[in-house]
Amino acid sequence: MHDILRRAEPLTPPVPAASRGFGRLTLDVRQNLPAWKQAVFVGSSLILGLAISVAILAVAGIPPLTLASELAGVLTAENLRGVLIQAAPLILVGLGASLAFRIGFWNLGIEGQMIFGGIFAAAISIYDIGPPATRLLLMGMAAALGGGLWVLLVVFLKLRFRVNEIIATLLLNYVAMYFLFHLLYGAWQDSKTAFPQSTPFRPFERLTDIGYGVNSGLLIAIAGVLAAGWMIHLSRIGFYTRFIAANPRMAKVVGVPVRTATIWIIAISGACSGLAGFVNVASQEGRLTQSFANGYVFSGVLIAFLSRNDPIVVAIVGFLIAVLFITGQTLQVFYQIPFTMVQMIEAIIVMAVASSEFLIRHRIRWIR
Amino acid sequence: MNAALQLAGIRKSFDGALALDGASFESRSGEVHALLGENGAGKSSLMNVAAGLYAPDAGSISINGAPISLSGPALARSHGIGMVHQHFKLVRPFTVAENVLLANPKAHFASGLRDIRDAIKKQVDALKFSIDPDRRIDTMTVAEQQQAEIVKVLVGGARILILDEPTAVLTDAEAIGLLEIVQRLARSGTAVVLVTHKLQDVKRYADVVTIMRGGKTVATLDPRHSTAEELTELTVGQTSALPERTPHQGGPTRLNVGALTYTRADGRTMLNNTSFYVRAGEIYGIAGVSGNGQAELAEALIGAIDPSLGEIWVDGAGDISHAGPSKRREAAIAAIPADRYAYALAGSLPIQDNLAVAQIRSGRYGSIVRLDRAAMRRDAIAAVKDYDVQGVRSVKQKASLLSGGNAQKLVIAREFSREPDVVVAHSPSRGLDARACAAVHQRLIAARERGAAIVLISEDLDEILSLSDRIGVMTRGAIVAEFERPADRQAIGRAMVDHA
Repeated sequence: MHDILRRAEPLTPPVPAASRGFGRLTLDVRQNLPAWKQAVFVGSSLILGLAISVAILAVAGIPPLTLASELAGVLTAENLRGVLIQAAPLILVGLGASLAFRIGFWNLGIEGQMIFGGIFAAAISIYDIGPPATRLLLMGMAAALGGGLWVLLVVFLKLRFRVNEIIATLLLNYVAMYFLFHLLYGAWQDSKTAFPQSTPFRPFERLTDIGYGVNSGLLIAIAGVLAAGWMIHLSRIGFYTRFIAANPRMAKVVGVPVRTATIWIIAISGACSGLAGFVNVASQEGRLTQSFANGYVFSGVLIAFLSRNDPIVVAIVGFLIAVLFITGQTLQVFYQIPFTMVQMIEAIIVMAVASSEFLIRHRIRWIR
Repeated sequence: MNAALQLAGIRKSFDGALALDGASFESRSGEVHALLGENGAGKSSLMNVAAGLYAPDAGSISINGAPISLSGPALARSHGIGMVHQHFKLVRPFTVAENVLLANPKAHFASGLRDIRDAIKKQVDALKFSIDPDRRIDTMTVAEQQQAEIVKVLVGGARILILDEPTAVLTDAEAIGLLEIVQRLARSGTAVVLVTHKLQDVKRYADVVTIMRGGKTVATLDPRHSTAEELTELTVGQTSALPERTPHQGGPTRLNVGALTYTRADGRTMLNNTSFYVRAGEIYGIAGVSGNGQAELAEALIGAIDPSLGEIWVDGAGDISHAGPSKRREAAIAAIPADRYAYALAGSLPIQDNLAVAQIRSGRYGSIVRLDRAAMRRDAIAAVKDYDVQGVRSVKQKASLLSGGNAQKLVIAREFSREPDVVVAHSPSRGLDARACAAVHQRLIAARERGAAIVLISEDLDEILSLSDRIGVMTRGAIVAEFERPADRQAIGRAMVDHA
């Protein structure tokens, strides 16, 4: 009898966790958390993220007080104009990202879609298509089409061959970028300056100020916010997106046109990014340049994330990120900090909010 | 000599539903002990208690006569109890050796892996298996993966080997090979427990058989001295009286399923020329041991999968076997799937949205540009009241907060809101308590009285017997036998196992 017991010994006797003398952490999944508590979690994470950012800037040589006065300086009329110009493309990429994220399509191809938006818009200018009066409208429509088509390529690959959209959209950014370079160093190069940029747009091809320091690009962004808000909250396709995100198999069985709705939402997401490209080339740059889309993937994801994919909140967050950008530019000029520092602050905020998401979904308990 | 593993008076309930009701079981070294029973009889639950995965509410466990308490699977392993689950617990991108090492941790990775590899080779040779310790699991066939599971458990020092439905995933030849190896293993001194619902396996390979029914162990006997009929009767139990009701009137055919064939992505044919018809005002029950294509049949009928061949003809709509969801909705087909949260509800969305979603397209809740949420709310409140859905504080609360029975009532409220002509119900009372179960059955009978054609797919033979006008037995993706009401329970039980 003893023999059998001896042989029943395992190779290594396991030590039960409870006998180690310490407690341990466990995670419980939360069922439901009231909205105000969620807001408290997100808000305190945001403050923590900003505090870390301030600390890092202090180490880099910018005392917190100076930082505060620089932030206050943003609110002068001239800086505010810059903020509003900057806010328009940020809000549009935020919309692009949040619409796609709503149905679980991880669109990281915002830059590529912006580039094609810019290229399509510039093509209207370069080939001189349509009468001057409707030129801007045509350019905007072309930009939306360009961004939409570029992302639909990935939608096709995903639906037909199950290609992962995260990788596909991200890598196609480089394809778009080199195609842009191909144009700017080749056929579309400005012959007067020989710089790698297109010839400047004509005056009626540019988004100009409409008074009070507000650029017409911002109107496009606001129109986009209202349209997306209506689509998500009031229209039928918005209702469908919630089911597609929550349970696509079930959605299909109960009669939601999953495929059609998915394709449309993602195409509109690409179109938003395309419009962001148009706003950038037609307001800030006034021509197609090499770098008009740089860094927007990250900003778009950040804005979508902070706004929890709600189009109306996207507008607010987009504005705040624009403030961060303009402050960052000032710091860059006057304190010689690199622009990567601004991107790092963005990253810290994303991580802080991401961790708050975890706390909203789980409860951490200490068990003795 | 004491029993190697002894379970006595085990009780276990899940969320109020009793899964094990005083079950007792004894397994000896050197024997293959079969545990036979229908689906849901409690076989797997009992063995999960033995493997330390479930903590029993009451009862005792002893190993070699010494009482023990199992606080987890690691402790069960240390007592020499090893279980091979029906769904393998292997890390697919890892090699066999890495998987065995993961289950039997060593102090040092590199030297541990070397030791493990030797131990695996020894076991593989002893059992005459064919697997290579350095092959990745995802390059192996199902039979080879099962060998890896068995080796993993034996390298861990198991003296009591529990195999949960080991032949369910194997071809006939593979199953015979495995059972012969298992028999040899028992002869060399291991106590083997074979959880199964296959009578032939029990008759040919088991030394002892314990039969479970309704969470109880009803008999332990020697399979060689009992007939298949006796075993079947013990497994399915006695026939209970059927409820009275109006006889079926024999209306026109509403649904015809013709030679439906479906092959899964992994190459297994799940539906193999499935054919049957259902008339108006008739409940057609489909009985069978689970895994014989019932799930796929239900999915094909509700449009979750695309059958490769055959037709699903519906009166007035024609062949809908490849039709999209909207055409199926137009054909007035209601779907009550087995897995509510997979196919019927979006748990994270409000009750109101879950009720409205099926009729959004018809325009009942507003146009494309503007949804009519007030109408949704009105209808939802009415449906919750009509179908007696309990636990609803607001129709805006998440559907996942409802209990199983109430979630099912919600599904039925949505699916019956447009008076369906055809109802596909798959295990509609799974996991429900008696009251909710009765309510669901009442709804199905009401639909029948109204003239709907109802397909009732269920692994619960009692449910099939009490509700159905005609019963088809499904085995290996085909209807192999049909019975008229009142059907003989024993005959159905035999049809289910004879063809398996």
